Amino acid sequence: MREVAIIGVGSTVFGKFPEKAIFELGTEAVQAALKDAGISPKDIQFAYYANLYGGMVEGQAALRDAGITDIEITNVENACTGGATAVRRTWYDIASGLYDIGIAVGSESMTTSPIAGKLIPPAKGDLSGELGMNTMAKFALSQRRYMDISGVTLEQIAMVSVKNHHNGCANPYSQYKKEFSAEDIINSRLICDPITQLQSCSTTDGAAAVILTSLNVARRYTRKPVIIAASVIRGGDYAFRQKDITFSDVTYKGVKGAYTMAGIGPEDINLCELHDAFAVNELQHYVELGFCERGEEVALLMDGVTNIKGRLPVNPSGGLLSKGHPLSATGVAQIAEIVWQLRGQAGKNQVPDAKVGLTHTLGGEVADLEAGAVGVHILKV
Amino acid sequence: MTKVLFQKGLFEETQGEPALIGSKCGSCGQVLFPVKSVCLNCMSADLESIRLRRDGILYTYTTVYMASEHFPPPYTVGWIELPEGIRIFSQIRGWQENPLKIGMDMRLYIETLWRDEDNEVIGYVFKPVIGET
Ligand SMILES: [Zn+2]
Repeated sequence: MREVAIIGVGSTVFGKFPEKAIFELGTEAVQAALKDAGISPKDIQFAYYANLYGGMVEGQAALRDAGITDIEITNVENACTGGATAVRRTWYDIASGLYDIGIAVGSESMTTSPIAGKLIPPAKGDLSGELGMNTMAKFALSQRRYMDISGVTLEQIAMVSVKNHHNGCANPYSQYKKEFSAEDIINSRLICDPITQLQSCSTTDGAAAVILTSLNVARRYTRKPVIIAASVIRGGDYAFRQKDITFSDVTYKGVKGAYTMAGIGPEDINLCELHDAFAVNELQHYVELGFCERGEEVALLMDGVTNIKGRLPVNPSGGLLSKGHPLSATGVAQIAEIVWQLRGQAGKNQVPDAKVGLTHTLGGEVADLEAGAVGVHILKV
Repeated sequence: MTKVLFQKGLFEETQGEPALIGSKCGSCGQVLFPVKSVCLNCMSADLESIRLRRDGILYTYTTVYMASEHFPPPYTVGWIELPEGIRIFSQIRGWQENPLKIGMDMRLYIETLWRDEDNEVIGYVFKPVIGET
């Protein structure tokens, strides 16, 4: 396998853009990534395009208007992990030597999707879905038990949202850009008890794109290529094997694989963008990602370790909570954020001296399985 | 209104005693719900259909304040842990009368889940067990 690097990233602003088609958002992100890399659309050899709620060949439409046609284009779907999956496939096709230059894109328009204004349901005919399961209920069930067995309070969970909304205020790509207090978060509309609206990411449209090349080719375009040290996608195991619904086994296994691939451990990570679809998830993921032992996660948050100025900043972009969560775009956007951070281009949210960053996405609700899929990437300079 | 089953083969009621129907693997002992044709744990086809125990305990729950396809808000769902060592996802009824608490005893009932244009859809729910020892 060859080393693979990122030479360009781009993103739309995240927000509500019901007037924009999915492919229009995609085109905007692709154009931004091309410009960032300083590469001609003619030099892109292949593409993976992630989208869940659109129609057929969305990728071809988005790439067409950015001047990219007549190449291998694959459209992918993996729920919230779709974007990370597109990056993983692009990484593989270059690492294996098949191609030298490719683009991974994720684009989603949640406001125009068939589930706009609804809780994200499983597929039609899914047993638990028919009985009232949805993505938020799934995590509300986890949160209820987590609070019950760990003693972690709603006020402490709300502080995740406070931190990430604070970070999002200085991120030009973020949807909210607004500070909230723990009280605001707890007193916002109750949706799936104990999860309130502001403990949850919102309905968001957006797209992001990253351009990958072999490390040798990358040196032609940039003096500071960001290397992909690990790229992992993993599907969930049977739910009956999950001992405890407050601990994501698939996240634990996925990140373990990523650390092995990169030859590093959690102590080497300088910053992280993780899947805070719900505030409670961030605390739980600290443990699964190896950032602390079980029972220490609240201290990690409250002591400021995961603040932008802390030892291990988590979601300096504002995360899904503040930035928003256009499902298939999220995994790609997280990687774009880490690239800006590692290059020192993250503006007011810049994490000092970051050399190694980790991204994590988790998603997909299906009966009998713990989760749909997890995606983990480790990037380094 | 025609009474229809929510999905075939999930439960039965004999002499007034309802039960969910699961599979027990003769090879590894894994209990599965609903019934499967092979054991998802070890892929053995040596499966026996069994009636699962009616009573379990509340593993966790949530009340949902947004509509789902079949249920107007608010409705409550949860995971019930059965003595066979598996968790069942279910609608929970009786939560307005009896505040729910993790670890409380729950019992299976066969009831109308929802009504659509022509049909009354029958399925399973769990309710808190109150005032019994
Ligand atoms: Zn078996």
